[in-house]
Amino acid sequence: MRHPQVTGCDLTRRSLLGNAGLAALGAGVLSRSAAAVEAPAARVALVRCVSYGADLLPALTRAFDSLGGLEGLVKGKTVAVKINLTGNPDARLGYLPIGRTTWTHPMVIAGTVHLLGRAGARRIRLLESPWKSAEPVEEYMTAAGWDPALFLGAAAGVEFENTNFLGFGKRYIRFPVPHGGHLFPAFDLNHAYGDCDVFVSIGKMKEHLTAGITLSMKNCFGITPCTIYGDGAPEDEPGLLPLGGRYPIHTGSRQPPRSSPPEIDPHSPRQGGYRVPRCVADLVAARPVHLAIIDGIEAQTGGEGIGPETRHVKPGLLVAGTNAVCVDAVGTAVMGFDPMADRGTAPFEFCDSTLRLAEELGVGTRDLQRIEVVGSRIEDVVFDYRKAGAARAGAPPDYDRPRPPGRG
Amino acid sequence: MSSDRLVPFRWPAAWTGTECLQVLAGSPINCLVFDRLSAAGPVATQARGAGFTVLEWSTLSAAPLSEVKWGSSDSPIAITGLPWPRIKLSPAGRPDEVEAGPTGAPWIDSNSWVVRLAAVRAARRPIWLGFETARNDPSPDAAAYTTAIADSAAAGARWMIRLDDALSRGLPAGNADALRTWHGIVDALAFFEANREWAAWEPWGSVGILSTFTGKDEFLSQEVLNLAARRNLLYRVLDRSMPSSQNLRGLRGVLYVDNDSPSASWKAQLSAFAEEGGLLIVPQALASQFSAGNSLHCPVLGYDLRRLGKGSVATATRDWDDPYFLAADVHSLVQRRHDPVRLFNAGSVWEHYSTTSGGSRALLQLVSFTSRPNPSISVALPHTWRSISMYVIGAAGPAALTPVKVEGRSELHLPEFSSYAAVEFRS
Repeated sequence: MRHPQVTGCDLTRRSLLGNAGLAALGAGVLSRSAAAVEAPAARVALVRCVSYGADLLPALTRAFDSLGGLEGLVKGKTVAVKINLTGNPDARLGYLPIGRTTWTHPMVIAGTVHLLGRAGARRIRLLESPWKSAEPVEEYMTAAGWDPALFLGAAAGVEFENTNFLGFGKRYIRFPVPHGGHLFPAFDLNHAYGDCDVFVSIGKMKEHLTAGITLSMKNCFGITPCTIYGDGAPEDEPGLLPLGGRYPIHTGSRQPPRSSPPEIDPHSPRQGGYRVPRCVADLVAARPVHLAIIDGIEAQTGGEGIGPETRHVKPGLLVAGTNAVCVDAVGTAVMGFDPMADRGTAPFEFCDSTLRLAEELGVGTRDLQRIEVVGSRIEDVVFDYRKAGAARAGAPPDYDRPRPPGRG
Repeated sequence: MSSDRLVPFRWPAAWTGTECLQVLAGSPINCLVFDRLSAAGPVATQARGAGFTVLEWSTLSAAPLSEVKWGSSDSPIAITGLPWPRIKLSPAGRPDEVEAGPTGAPWIDSNSWVVRLAAVRAARRPIWLGFETARNDPSPDAAAYTTAIADSAAAGARWMIRLDDALSRGLPAGNADALRTWHGIVDALAFFEANREWAAWEPWGSVGILSTFTGKDEFLSQEVLNLAARRNLLYRVLDRSMPSSQNLRGLRGVLYVDNDSPSASWKAQLSAFAEEGGLLIVPQALASQFSAGNSLHCPVLGYDLRRLGKGSVATATRDWDDPYFLAADVHSLVQRRHDPVRLFNAGSVWEHYSTTSGGSRALLQLVSFTSRPNPSISVALPHTWRSISMYVIGAAGPAALTPVKVEGRSELHLPEFSSYAAVEFRS
C-alpha cells in the first residue's frame, strides 16, 4: 500500500514534532496559497452500506481494501482512534439510539477496531473528550446504552482514554501547527494523540450550525482538552479536571492558560463561524489524520443538537481515505454540497470553509478533480441533506453570534 | 387517626370564613395546620366537626434539616426551609431563563435527598416537608404543584401543601384558573394516597453513601446526596452516627465521605463488605485504614484501587473538594452497567427506584421538572419482567407496557407524560 500523501504512517511523536517544527520554520517561506496548490490528493473510498448489520463489515473491508489495505498502515503499530461521541450520551432523537443520529455508530467503531486488529495493530486506543467530563470513555458509552465489551472483544489490545484532561499521561504534548496556523500556533493535547503511530478519525456525516459540516476533520475539534481550552480552565496552568465546555474556542472569550500557546491574533473576529473552522484546520494540520472514516450510513440533518429541524436520515454511505481533507471533500459532495464553496454558500452560510482552510495549510486538496474516488460514483449516491431535512435555522446559536473583535 | 395517614394542608391565613372548608371537599386532605389555633376560631371548630385533624404549626416542632430533633417523640418529622422543587430560575426569576448546574444541564432544586436522609434518621416516622414560593417567584401552575407534590411523595414524604397567594385568593372566589390548578393538586394528592404502599418499598441503590452528614462533613456529604440523585446515581443513605448494623446487602459499593476514621465496628463492617466482594471508596485521609493488597488498574483517575479479599478499596489520591466530581467518580467506580434501568431523553427528570422486600416487584418513579410534556423517554432494561405497567396522574388506571428490542437490548418507550410517571415491574 502506498501512502504518498501521509506525512508518516510510521510517524513517531519525535518525527511528528520534528516535521512540524521544520514546517513552522518554513511558514514564512511557503505561503498558504502555495501550500494549497501543493496540498496532496489521496484516493477516497465511497461505499454503499445500508445498515449497521451484516453488510457493515464487508463494506468496511471493501473500503479499506480499495485504499490498499490496512496492514501497511497499522501492522505492529499503536493506533489512536478518535471517535465522535459529542454531546449528552442520554439524548436521543425520539426513541432512536444516538449511534443512528449523532454519534459514530458503535458497530462502525467495532468493525474498524476489528479490521485494525486483523491487520496487525498492536494497540488500539479509543479516544474521546466527552463534553465537560472526566469520566472514563467506557462509562460514557455505557450511559448511551453501549456495551464497551463490544470493542474490547473486537480486537486484542483495545484501550479507552478520556482525552479531555491529562488522563493517564504525565504531561500534555505540544503539537505545533505547520505554516504557523490560522488561529493557534500550537496545541497542547493529551498524551494519547502523541503516543501513537497512526491516528484515525471516525466522524459522522452531519451538518453543523457553527462549521457548516462536521465530518472526519471537525471530529478532531474534540481532541482539545477542556482543562486547557474550556471555560473553566485556570489562568496559569491546565486544570486538574475539565470544567466547562469549549466555548472559548467558539467565542474567543478567553485565552488558554499561560502555560499553553495563546491564539495568534487576539484581535481576530470573535465569531464561531470564523474561529471553529480555523481551529479545526489547525488541529488536523498539527495532528495529522492517517485514516479518516465517515459514518454516513444513518445520521441526522440540521446540526449536531436535537431540535425541531432535526431529521433522521439514511444516506447509506461509508467514506474512507488516508487524507482527511480529501475524505471530507467527498463527504461534503455526497451530502449535496460543493466542497469548493465558501462563506455565504451552503453549507457555509455563516462560516468559513474548514476544507479550504485545511487545504491552505497543505493538509490535502478539496478539489474533486484531483481526488480519485473508488467504489461508488459521487453523482450516483448523493444524499441531499437540505432536501432531506427541514428548513435550516436561519442563524447560528447565540454563543456564535458575531461579536466585536478584540474582546477576551 | 394515625399520623402516617395524615395529608397535611397549611391553612391560608386569609381564609377566615368557614365556607373556605368547602374548597377541600372531595380532596384527600384530612389534616389542617393553622399558624395559630387561637386565630382560627370557628374554622378550626367546624373542621374538627367535619373530621379533619387540626394542628397548630408550633406543635409540629418544624425545623430546618440541621436543627431537626431526630430523637424526639414528636410524630411526624416536619422539615422546613426547603426550596420549591423545580428547575432553578435565573436570579431575575424570569421563567424563560434557568441556571445551569455543573453539568451544563439545568440546575434542579429537589428535596428528595432530604427525605432519603430523614428516612434513615427517623425510621418509620412520617416525613412532612415545608416549602413555599418566594415572594418574587412566578405563581406555580398545576404542573408546578404536581411536580412539587411528586418530588416529596416519590421519595416517601408528604409536602405540607401551602398555596401561593394568587391561588389562595382565587380559590374562594371561584376563579377558573385557580380551580384548574386546584384540581391538579387534588388529582396528584389522590394519586399518591391511592398508591401509598409504594412509600414503604425499599429504595434501591448500587452504592451506600456513608457520613455523619453533619458538622464539617455536612456540605460535602449532603451535596453528594443531592448531586448523585441529580445524575440518577441510585444510592442508599448510611448514617455513620447510627449503629454500624445498617444493612449493606445488595450494595456494590460504599462511599465513605468523611475524613474522620470510622469507629471500630464500622471499620470491621466495611472491611468485611470489601472482603466479600464490595467496593469501598474512601478519602485520601483514610489511605492507611484498610489493609488492601495488590494494586489494580483503575479506570477512574484520582484513585488508587487495591484488592481486598474478593473486593477492592479505591482510595482517593487527592482531596475531595467538589461534590459534583465526587458523585461522578463514584458513579464510574461502581459502574453504570449495574444500574437497574437506564434513561434516555430524561435530562430534567429525577429517578427513584425501589423494590418490595422480596424484590419481586420494582418501581421506577420519574419526576419531571420541565413545564413541557416528556414526549420520548426511553428506559433500557437489563432484566426481563413478567409484566410492566405505567401509571400517570389523572389516568383511570395503569397501562400495560411492552418492551421493544433496540439493537439487541430491551427498552421501554414511554408514552408522553407530564410532571410524573411511575413504571411498576413484576416478576
